[in-house]
Amino acid sequence: MHRIPLRAWTVLSAAVLVAAWLTLTWGGYVRDLFLPPPDELWDGFWDLVTDGYKGRTLLEHLEASLWRIFAGFVTGAAVGTFLGLAMGYWRSVEALFAPFIEFLRPLPQLAYLMLLIIWFGIGETSKIILLFLAALPVSAVAARDGVRNVPVQRIHAARSLGASEWQIFRHVVLPSALPEIFTGARIGVGVVYGTLIAAEIIAGSSGLGWMILDAGRFLRSDYVFVGILLIGLMGLALNWALVALEARIVHWAGR
Amino acid sequence: MTQFIAAPDRRTLLKAGLGLGGAALLGATPRRARAAGPDKINIAYFVGTSPTMIAKGDGWIEDLTKAKVNWIEVGSGAEINTAVAAGSVDIGLGIGSSPTSAGLAQSIGYEVIAMLDNIGPAEEMTVRTAANIKTPADFKGKKVGTPFGSTSHFRLMGFLKVNGLTQRDVTVLDLRPDALVAAWQRGDIDAAYVWSPAKSKVLAAGGEVFRTYDKLEAAGYVIADVIVARTAFTQAYPDAVVSILKANSQALDMWTATPDKAAELIGKQAGVSTAVAKEDLLQYDFVSPKVQLDPAWLGPPGKPGRFAEVLQGTAKFLAEQKSIRSVPDLSVFQKGINTGPLAQALA
Repeated sequence: MHRIPLRAWTVLSAAVLVAAWLTLTWGGYVRDLFLPPPDELWDGFWDLVTDGYKGRTLLEHLEASLWRIFAGFVTGAAVGTFLGLAMGYWRSVEALFAPFIEFLRPLPQLAYLMLLIIWFGIGETSKIILLFLAALPVSAVAARDGVRNVPVQRIHAARSLGASEWQIFRHVVLPSALPEIFTGARIGVGVVYGTLIAAEIIAGSSGLGWMILDAGRFLRSDYVFVGILLIGLMGLALNWALVALEARIVHWAGR
Repeated sequence: MTQFIAAPDRRTLLKAGLGLGGAALLGATPRRARAAGPDKINIAYFVGTSPTMIAKGDGWIEDLTKAKVNWIEVGSGAEINTAVAAGSVDIGLGIGSSPTSAGLAQSIGYEVIAMLDNIGPAEEMTVRTAANIKTPADFKGKKVGTPFGSTSHFRLMGFLKVNGLTQRDVTVLDLRPDALVAAWQRGDIDAAYVWSPAKSKVLAAGGEVFRTYDKLEAAGYVIADVIVARTAFTQAYPDAVVSILKANSQALDMWTATPDKAAELIGKQAGVSTAVAKEDLLQYDFVSPKVQLDPAWLGPPGKPGRFAEVLQGTAKFLAEQKSIRSVPDLSVFQKGINTGPLAQALA
């Protein structure tokens, strides 16, 4: 078995899935309402590319979603990481913020969606805040644990060599915590991604998440599938970008 | 059962039976269909001020069908469509004509078996008094909220079209009724096209009615709420469907005969005061079952009425909106109306 390259297994699983899809749809076993055949999916995609969806082009929907993810994730991860580093470094900061972070982390975003609408309106602000709140606790916890897990010996060694507190933080704690911060960021992207649809429920008329929701209302499964594929591929691309960035910045991790 | 739609089906069935040489089957088919009622009926409904709520609240449907009813609360017709397509809902009470048109166009397997009401002025444009909107042209640059895919959305788009406005002139936002009220209270939107209780709430919070319905109805933008039944369910349990329609028309009779008592019961079910319930109820034109059988509406069994054209007109709008792929022939909507059980319920 070990002679078969791993890639072949991946190709095989994809091929089985596609074959099942073709058989079920073109074979007439499943109605297009439940699972659109490849040609309809392509037509749907082409339709979206050329004509757009409800007043906006596909690119505009894509852009709207990407912007929200970017804004929510970057702000959430930045504030979260900063807070997490402080929490890991100073117990008092941790005591100040931990209850809120721990409470917020498992909270389903839909639970407070309505409050965000009332507080921040139906525009971009409430959507980005929702994504911000999704990204923040994940990053904070990752950064805090990253700092916590720095071997004490390293800090002691640096201190005995006469390093200042700032130097210890900058040259010992931060680099040691970086791999965990990156792991947190990748999980954060996932969470933000998962929250996107919830965010776009708020007075949408733009965004891939909204498009999927709206098309789903009318059982336009071709658009729904196209939207899911696009969102999925975008998520993969984002993850790859983060992995590449991680390999660049924390190339020593795991060695 | 209906003569118009089911008859060919049954004939084919009988022919098949005869072809198999099954004389016993010939006798067995109707008996099997009639003898046993369903154990459980899955009924999707909206919480709202409609006489149907009396039939629900007082258990009339359970009494008449002698079946257990699984009441499923929904927030939109789209949910009913999805649930029927999945086979989880047998009867949809009060689904709007827009989602119904979409459902029939996509042949998800249900039929319109009765109407609840002609919506008329019950769904209407509300404008913020402070926004100073007096003519259709004043809507330019304004934000209007409506739940997408609803009958209200259909009317709103009709309003824009009739007045030569586009979505570039007016920002149309997709807001569920509860979110719409929140957005209104914050001052995020200038106008709303929606139904009660959201409508009464925005009216109470600095809104006034901007009348559109009469002109829109004249221009063909008729909207209504109907009752749909999964075709396979109607075929299997025709008697149960007749019973459900009987219970519904009894509820309507009660509203007509004793509006105050009915409003109290309905209000209790919908969670609003008797006064609010009555006020809401008065805005709907609850078309009596007899009138529904008129060619102007659903038509008598076997002769689908004008409502099929309303549904096709709605489908044209939905196709423009890309909500459905193409506009089916009128015959698709005519076949989607089955007033056989309704005629039986009246008999």
